[in-house]
Amino acid sequence: MRNPSIIIGLIMLTLMVLVALAGPAFVSQTLFPGERPGMRGSYRPYQLDSVEHPIGTDGDGRDGLMVFVSSIWPSLQIGLIAGATSTGLGVVIGFLAGYARGRLDTLARILIDMVLVIPTLPLLLMLAAYIERWDLYKLSLILGIFGWSFVARVIRPQVQSLRERSYVDLAVLSGENPLEIIFLELLPPLLPYIGYVFSLSIVGSMLAEAGLQIIGLGAGGLPTLGFMIAKGFRESVIAIGLLGQMLLPAGALIYVFLALNLINTGLDEVFNPRLKTTIEGGD
Amino acid sequence: MTPNPSSRAAEPNADQQRAARREVFQYAVRRFGVYLFTLWAAITVAFFIFRLVPGDPMNILLGNLTRAEGRQRDAAEQEVIIARYRQIFGVDDPLPLQYLNYLRKAFLGGLDLGPSFVEYPAPTRDLVFRRMPWTIGIFTTSVLLAWFIGTGLGALIGWLQRSQLSKLAVVISTLLQITPVYLVALGLIIYVGYTWRILPAGGPYARHLQPEWTWEFISSLLTHAILPMLSNIIVIGAGFTLGMRALMISVLGEDYLTFARAKGLSPFTVLKDYAFRNALIPQVTALAIIVGATLNGTFIIEVLFQLPGLGTLFVQAMGLRDFNTMQAVVLFSIFAVLTLTLIVDLALPLLDPRIRRLA
Repeated sequence: MRNPSIIIGLIMLTLMVLVALAGPAFVSQTLFPGERPGMRGSYRPYQLDSVEHPIGTDGDGRDGLMVFVSSIWPSLQIGLIAGATSTGLGVVIGFLAGYARGRLDTLARILIDMVLVIPTLPLLLMLAAYIERWDLYKLSLILGIFGWSFVARVIRPQVQSLRERSYVDLAVLSGENPLEIIFLELLPPLLPYIGYVFSLSIVGSMLAEAGLQIIGLGAGGLPTLGFMIAKGFRESVIAIGLLGQMLLPAGALIYVFLALNLINTGLDEVFNPRLKTTIEGGD
Repeated sequence: MTPNPSSRAAEPNADQQRAARREVFQYAVRRFGVYLFTLWAAITVAFFIFRLVPGDPMNILLGNLTRAEGRQRDAAEQEVIIARYRQIFGVDDPLPLQYLNYLRKAFLGGLDLGPSFVEYPAPTRDLVFRRMPWTIGIFTTSVLLAWFIGTGLGALIGWLQRSQLSKLAVVISTLLQITPVYLVALGLIIYVGYTWRILPAGGPYARHLQPEWTWEFISSLLTHAILPMLSNIIVIGAGFTLGMRALMISVLGEDYLTFARAKGLSPFTVLKDYAFRNALIPQVTALAIIVGATLNGTFIIEVLFQLPGLGTLFVQAMGLRDFNTMQAVVLFSIFAVLTLTLIVDLALPLLDPRIRRLA
């Protein structure tokens, strides 16, 4: 898999994960030894950028940089858990629908199409109204549960087309049972495509989470990038002159989406080699 | 997909025409049937999701009321309030009965979705109808503009794929396409609206004006609409540009295009009649795919720009746990997404010259 897009995307993503995991400890130990930069009221609020506080302090008197680096990991976690949930559910349902024939397939297709058109944002908001105490896992699972229909929708036709290949017929004739056919014959060639869908699902979940935060209906108290952006907007930090407190989290989100987009493009090319030759016009 | 330009000369006979017309008609009927069924099914799923989520909305309502009034009520008073609310919602009936009542009122009772709490006792229906023009206006205008701009630009940079400028355009479009629409909206509000003060970035029109048919009001309305629409157009337009570019490039690799060039047709004719035409059909299908996501994005944009649309209504309703109103907005979204997808699907055969010629 020597695809440059995938490699660049993975490197970008790995760097971000490193910052997310090591960032908080690194920042607090090198910049603020012996202090608690992530605690409310540690400093005077809304201090402008300085050597001490590279992107200033926020409205709660915390160091902006510290808040930023500790917001990355929860955001990524939500993306990963929600993406894995929706991809897992979607792949199972997509495989069942694609592998089954006749009435069961029709029924599954109608169900998938139905759930697909239900607008998720209002429903997510509804659930947000019911759940009193949010935590990261609850939120991720709910986001994931709403994303499966898209995955199932795109996996099903792929399974269907593979099922008709002659090598699958051969496997059936040589006496493999359906489970063996699914796991040994159908799943392996679809893995890059599933990776592609997984990456799309991560983007979708992170997008939805930050969107909820920004209209003020997110999981309050979850320190995510979306929450930092929303808080910055509400406290008009740009007008105060604290550009970094909004541009950094926004930039980090876009950076992660770009990395995932590169991985996607690459996985799509691996899965669908014809795409590369036609897009590059036979260079 | 491959058209056969030379067959244009041969007129199809009457029998073929009739058969083709019947086929198109059958397609339309079948598609409409699927539409009605999906609409019913989606409404049903939404209804049950609303009823089956855990937690009692009555307790939340009561809690809200207590907070709003700043005093605790005694138990007897609470009982009365809850009983009244339960009656308004009809939640004492068994679930299947609630469902049938709901469908009956919604479809046979002239879209009666119950009273709203946001503006009690105004019916939910009236609220939704009053807010709808904002959402539909922003949504359709920006999607259509984005589609036209994106399709034009995409065709151009696909056609000129080897030039440096189009490579730059691809990079810029990719960056814009992956940027969440609300971040673009926030950027426009902060910079264009407040820092540079070029365009207004909050509210539907200037505060001192009243809705009326005067130039002052209309121009205020239009300038206030620019930034919300622009947020949508930038992100969706970039997506359409990339999509159209990929379609153009794959069409450009087809044999019939080489043949058209070899025949000595002018590059413009080849672009217009051969490449663009054939790339256009999947590009219209793409329009149907983005409808749902864009509606979600438009809801968020409304909230950020303080426009009195359905997204804002939903957020208000949520603050009061006004379930009738929330449900009405969800129903409207389902209806809008399905209907717009239906329109695109039905318009598709009209675009395809092979079908249009016969039908």
